[in-house]
Amino acid sequence: MKRALLLVVAALLAGSPGWASAPIDYMLQCQGCHLADGRGAPGKVPSLLGMARFLTVPGGRAFLVRVPGAFQSSLSDAKLAAVLNWMLAHFGPAESAAKQPPYTAEEVTKLRRPPLVDVAAERARLLEALEKGPAPLH
Amino acid sequence: MKSMDGWIGAIARAVARRTSRRGFLASVGALLVGGAAAPLLPVSRAAAERARAAGEPDPATPAGDPDACEYWRYCAIDGFLASCCGGSHTSCPPGTQMSPITWLGTCRNPQDGKEYVISYNDCCGKDVCGNCFCNRNEGDKPVYYTHKNNDIDWCMGTESVVYNSTVALVVGVATPSEHAGKK
Repeated sequence: MKRALLLVVAALLAGSPGWASAPIDYMLQCQGCHLADGRGAPGKVPSLLGMARFLTVPGGRAFLVRVPGAFQSSLSDAKLAAVLNWMLAHFGPAESAAKQPPYTAEEVTKLRRPPLVDVAAERARLLEALEKGPAPLH
Repeated sequence: MKSMDGWIGAIARAVARRTSRRGFLASVGALLVGGAAAPLLPVSRAAAERARAAGEPDPATPAGDPDACEYWRYCAIDGFLASCCGGSHTSCPPGTQMSPITWLGTCRNPQDGKEYVISYNDCCGKDVCGNCFCNRNEGDKPVYYTHKNNDIDWCMGTESVVYNSTVALVVGVATPSEHAGKK
């Protein structure tokens, strides 16, 4: 209850225009490029399918908050957390998403800055780590 | 048997006296040509297309007319209306390809007062249409917010980056949160 209240207060403070649901925020902030089904455009826009796998490697949790589309969006930290949680559940894989705690507004506040300078390199590093298999999370 | 023969012969002669082969051919010809031409006549098919779609405002008003810049779905558009360029408000003109990567915003439908999420898909691959320029820009952000700016060419993910025109697709209903109105 306290957390819910905090989220509401955070949303009000941030003054985001406020749509009631994460799927609508996904439509307005992400879908234009990542498409309704999350598959993106090969070579131009990364696919979101299976994005929850990033949660299983060190640095992956921060990466998802720090990609340009996330940290630059006009969403408040609370709303960004809600959209990310919706996306993880929606684009899966479910087993990776279920094992990790959901993002909170406080966590997003911490992770959102500083922005990634070289997004593609960080993505490649994480994907390589995923290839090598599960690593202990810190 | 003989009487039946005579009877049929009499009918045949009576029919032959009343009709002519030329007249018959002329009427069959008229039927063929006329029948083929009927679909070409400018009957009110245009009006039939204008029949009010479910949930849409009256097509006789600008807010309900997809050919008018005032059409409700065009509240954030910046471009040439595909409906004026050989397509419709939901389909691209022939010879163009609809970009899957799009600019999205919300528009209020005056019919039910609800906000809908609208996807402005650019039609790409043919030279710029030039008809019915419409620039309403509600919610448009400066170009440094790239994903919320509609001045840039959204022909991405298509074979060609050449911009022709734009359609407006409804992709969702945006319900405002309880606090949205207080700001």
